[in-house]
Amino acid sequence: MATTPRSGGASGTGAAQRPNGTSQNKSCQFKLVLLGESAVGKSSLVLRFVKGQFHEYQESTIGAAFLTQTICIEDTVVKFEIWDTAGQERYHSLAPMYYRGAQAAIVVYDIQNQDSFQRAKTWVKELHKQASPNIVIALAGNKADLSNIRVVEFDEAKQYAEENGLLFMETSAKTGMNVNDIFLAIAKKLPKNDGANNQGTSIRPNGNETNRPTNNCCK
Amino acid sequence: MSKAARPSLRLGQQDLKCRTGCGFYGTPQNDGLCSMCFRDVRCVQRKLKQKTDETGPGSSSTSQIAAGSLERRSPQHGHGHGHQVKKPEQDTPGTLQKKKFTAVLQKTLQAGAQKITQQRGHVPDPTEGQFLLQLRQLRIPDDGKRKLKLEIQRLDSEIWKYMNGNGGKNINELSDLVQNAYTKVSDIVHNDPSFEIATNEDRDSAIDFFEKVVMTQNHKFLFSPYFTTDEDSDVKVQKRIRQLSWITAKHLDCSIDEVNSEARDLVYNAISELVGIDSYYSPQEKLQCTWRCCRHIFELLKRATGGPASADDFLPALIFVVLKANPVRLHSNINFVTRFTNASRVMSGESGYYFTNLCSAIAFIEYLNGESLGISGEEFDALMSGQQPYSSPWESALLGCESLHLISENMKRMEMLQKKNALISSEITSFEKKLIDFQREVTERVDTVIAKAPLNLLPIKTPAFLIGQARAHLHNENEAGHYQANMLSGGTLTTQSLTDVVGSVKPAMASEDSGLSLKDTSMGSMGRLSPLHQNLQPAEHLFASPIFNYTAFDAVSLLEEPSSEGNTDVLMLGSEFQGGLTNINYDFDLSDQSGENSTADESKLNLDEFDPLAQTDSITQPPSVLDSTTDSLIDSEVPGTAVLLPSPLKPEVASYRGFSNFDIPSISCNTGDFSSLGQEGTEAPK
Repeated sequence: MATTPRSGGASGTGAAQRPNGTSQNKSCQFKLVLLGESAVGKSSLVLRFVKGQFHEYQESTIGAAFLTQTICIEDTVVKFEIWDTAGQERYHSLAPMYYRGAQAAIVVYDIQNQDSFQRAKTWVKELHKQASPNIVIALAGNKADLSNIRVVEFDEAKQYAEENGLLFMETSAKTGMNVNDIFLAIAKKLPKNDGANNQGTSIRPNGNETNRPTNNCCK
Repeated sequence: MSKAARPSLRLGQQDLKCRTGCGFYGTPQNDGLCSMCFRDVRCVQRKLKQKTDETGPGSSSTSQIAAGSLERRSPQHGHGHGHQVKKPEQDTPGTLQKKKFTAVLQKTLQAGAQKITQQRGHVPDPTEGQFLLQLRQLRIPDDGKRKLKLEIQRLDSEIWKYMNGNGGKNINELSDLVQNAYTKVSDIVHNDPSFEIATNEDRDSAIDFFEKVVMTQNHKFLFSPYFTTDEDSDVKVQKRIRQLSWITAKHLDCSIDEVNSEARDLVYNAISELVGIDSYYSPQEKLQCTWRCCRHIFELLKRATGGPASADDFLPALIFVVLKANPVRLHSNINFVTRFTNASRVMSGESGYYFTNLCSAIAFIEYLNGESLGISGEEFDALMSGQQPYSSPWESALLGCESLHLISENMKRMEMLQKKNALISSEITSFEKKLIDFQREVTERVDTVIAKAPLNLLPIKTPAFLIGQARAHLHNENEAGHYQANMLSGGTLTTQSLTDVVGSVKPAMASEDSGLSLKDTSMGSMGRLSPLHQNLQPAEHLFASPIFNYTAFDAVSLLEEPSSEGNTDVLMLGSEFQGGLTNINYDFDLSDQSGENSTADESKLNLDEFDPLAQTDSITQPPSVLDSTTDSLIDSEVPGTAVLLPSPLKPEVASYRGFSNFDIPSISCNTGDFSSLGQEGTEAPK
């Protein structure tokens, strides 16, 4: 699996769309929405994935609410557009505006916090009910570096994820454990042939269908 | 097309009047007609259109129509909208309408050439020229530009037709119409052979251009159309926000510091951008405005929290900004963007994210209740109805801004001055303390140094061979007789005076001491003589302070010589010792501990003899040197003056010092060498 999480996003997509068709890569853009209670580490997780850092923020990072990251999977350039949502209970009702049209969602909970896990379950339920039917949902038990004081058991969460058809990983934004992996797993699960077309984005597969590998879709 | 239309942009004087010649002035908005004629014309036009719709589209080729429309265009009133021209290969739903439209044109042309231009209630717009310029600047092939322009004109006319149509209007239909056109243009731009060589960015800019032109030109139709409830919602939300003016950052769980001036400035920036949304025509510009507003908020939050803000911080801050900005026509603007911008723009991308946040913020504001602000329902109701008074730091800061600001600034300044004052006074006291300490330290040090290194009267160690010399010398002096006698008398006198001063008598030792006294004096003189010849250092040790401080002593000591007996002499000696006593006392403290050879021993010598007189004198007489000298001068005239003369010359005085009586204390020191001296002493005098 060729994984280069920090390759230049813009050039990747540009190459894929060169009309002369020299590039064999095709590119997809996906909207990924982050859900979860506040202070479970949603933005830390994304910052770790996008900037490869924890706490030491670059001057240029103006906000962690909207970030993009491009990764390569096999011959496909996958551009994630990550939308953070406010986790406070009072803003819960606004979430549908964010996950409308999202192809993927990561529901984050804190393994030290049972409440955040319960909230995560409600998010999953809501997504199944209201989001687009083939949305890829991942459950992330964050702060895995503090597993010695965990409250939510791994097996419990794993079982729940299997029952609901979710991707599941325990992650740690602090150590970087499983952070790239969960995004890669999502990228692999996403249907890449029509991901870009779904939302009428300007980035479209450009007549390279003939070069497409057979295993383009994992689902 | 554009070339044909452009000369017509200028309006002549005759065009100011209504073109029907009714005498009233026409307005450009009414296509150069007065309001009455314009209404009539529109009625006729509508009827004609219905008629053509019934009859069906004409079969003439588009090129002919284009040519015809050009011909028939009135030069003064052409508006540069060649919407009559169509692409031959069109097959979209709009095509049918288009064809109908051209048919209408033909009909109207038949009816009267002047009425053609009334088809569009469109104003010659200076922005149109700009768009043409921009179109030329687009880095796409000319073929592509032409197609783009055709598409623009087509959508333009479609919108116009929909807006002026008679059927029931639905904003969603209109939105779909526009969105379909976007999809089509996007399709053309990406797949049409005429765009083949264009880069990806150029394609995007072409699509953007298309959207911008159409939206700017049709803003007046599409923004808050009369058949929607946008305006009502605007009023509603504005009223609601006004009611919610009591909401503070705390209610929203928001980290904005309302009273911090720096934070306020950034909030103001965000507010002005948010309010500015209304002043732009195209959805893109409105989105850019939102983007700038949100960037200001992120900047603000970054300073407040010290790191990149997450949505947990951002959304409350945005809600706060919307509440404090209370932008005009909020819903109209939001709906305009939602309906008529490229759908992908609000569904993805950074601007899309911010726009979604803005929509959520408005939704939150519209539906918020006490629970969502962390207060009880009753309190919320009371605050909303205005029954409960409130004080919001933001509003109060706004209202009392100037004066309060001034007061706070002055208060700050005063505080600063006060601090400075306190600092200065504390510094002063500490400096005073330091000075006192310094003084104490200096005195202490001096004391310790004095204690460590006291003025020590060391015993004079005269080498044995010198003593012989000294004896010989003395012998020579003795020949003169005068000196010898003098010395002897002086010796006794000094011992006497010493006894007086110390005042401690040991009768048991007296006899023994008195026996020794003569010997001692001689030895003392010898001891004192030796430094004069060989080594000055011991002499200095001995006499430094008393002699050099009180040069008069020398004179006095010399004075005493001639008159060896009598009161004056005794008096003088007393005074002399008084002067030198302090120094001698030092010596006593340390050197006397040996107890073997101090002056104290010698002082006990002859106390019996002159005790009463000397004692009274030393007590009654003030220890001033001057007095004693004057006394001595008065009492002994001749020798006093005679001896006084050489006194300023120090070396000579020093030489005489040896014979001064007050040196006697040092004589005792020689007792260390006593045995040797005794031997020689016994030899020498004889």
